Amino acid sequence: MFTLGSVLDNDFKSTIEDFSFETEFSTNQLMLPNIEKPFEFAQSIIGLEKDLQENENQLMFHQQKKEERKERALIKGYKGTTTLAFIYEKGTVVAVDSRATSGQYIASQSVQKVVPVNEYMLGTLAGGAADCQFFLAHLGRICNLYELRNNEKISVAAASKLLNNILYSYRNYGLSVGSMICGYDTRGPQLYYIDSDGSRLKNSLFSVGSGSPFAYGVLDAGYRWDLSKEEALDLGRRAICAATFKDSYSGGTVKVYHIDENGWVKISDDDASELWYRYEEKEKKKK
Amino acid sequence: MAGKNCVAIAGDTRFGVRNQTVALDSNRIFKINNRTLFGMTGLNTDILTLRESFKFQMNLYNLEEEREISPKTFAHNVAQTLYSKRFGPYFITPIIAGLEGEDYTPFLCATDLIGAMEFPKSFVVAGTGEESLMGVCETFYKENMEPDELFEVISQCLLAAVDRDALSGWGSVVHVLTKDGITTKRLRTRKD
Repeated sequence: MFTLGSVLDNDFKSTIEDFSFETEFSTNQLMLPNIEKPFEFAQSIIGLEKDLQENENQLMFHQQKKEERKERALIKGYKGTTTLAFIYEKGTVVAVDSRATSGQYIASQSVQKVVPVNEYMLGTLAGGAADCQFFLAHLGRICNLYELRNNEKISVAAASKLLNNILYSYRNYGLSVGSMICGYDTRGPQLYYIDSDGSRLKNSLFSVGSGSPFAYGVLDAGYRWDLSKEEALDLGRRAICAATFKDSYSGGTVKVYHIDENGWVKISDDDASELWYRYEEKEKKKK
Repeated sequence: MAGKNCVAIAGDTRFGVRNQTVALDSNRIFKINNRTLFGMTGLNTDILTLRESFKFQMNLYNLEEEREISPKTFAHNVAQTLYSKRFGPYFITPIIAGLEGEDYTPFLCATDLIGAMEFPKSFVVAGTGEESLMGVCETFYKENMEPDELFEVISQCLLAAVDRDALSGWGSVVHVLTKDGITTKRLRTRKD
């Protein structure tokens, strides 16, 4: 029988074993409560709107009203965000806002929604802040280990696939991750969208969050493959600014990053409201 | 908010549908007469309907009584109108601010959606950001403020509270009512 193991050296074999589920990324890595139905318990302590609606039939909480359950929920999801990323000829542009809301209360205007995975890859944060931060940092660890073992940089496709597999194993546990893995590798600029439902999508532009419909409007209108660097950065900034204006749950500051073959760079960090007033001035002057 | 022989009402001018901001210029504070200002928050359609309804009632009052209505009487009128819809209420929270009597004593009144009145001496708040507003007003309010100081204080309170509420903002207006008249100013707020 011609198996993969017999063809490869022992050295190669160990690296493949390292990537198997039983060792590095085993599903038992995160501790689960020692009760009968951990999935249902996990659902009951999460207060995210989406999960409460979806699982109303599955769980045996028919009598309890949604509001009561939300009150009981220990983990309140900080939702409301706009993040976008797109690839173009010269690299990848990532732009995010910085607001976190809990219901209609603005919890913070200074959240870091871009988490660096390594020097040439960025991950964006949308959905549950703790979930995204942990898993993106974990992805950074895995990518670092890969580089040390294999003496080559991990591709964005592989990194996103690793994260995807981990998140799929925690599917239905109430995680909320809507992250974009953006980077530049040997294949050029790359962009993947990873979801806590287990989706992994590849495209040239994405926008995630409550303000994404508004950002898409500006982004789709202005996007071309052969944008110049200045135009691309301006497009990303304008799209987030438009989303912060239209969407109540997005706002704070607009941060723009650029990734090319030299790695990622933070380009600008502007107050969303000031930016809007500046764009308004420019429009008035044009007329 | 009440000051020394003056009152001020401030509000934002956003009209939105859930998370989307639809308009930036929806005015919710109306002048009833030279002594009374009336502001409402809540369901926009009810605000528009009640504005027309109260305008109609006040016009009739002026014609019949041949005098201007006092703020206290107007507040009771509002409460009565709201309670008449006790089992199918208007979804609004009104605020009435005015200057009462010969010596222009400040008068404030807030009611809930079915007309339960409250007459505080210092300030009244309403809206999606009312909890934040309550906190800031409590901190910055002091008694017997002159009109200029009152304007400063109420503006800062509104701006601070509105920046902590996702559903408020996108423009704001402040009216200061003294015995000499009403001064209206627009504040530059965050548009995110």
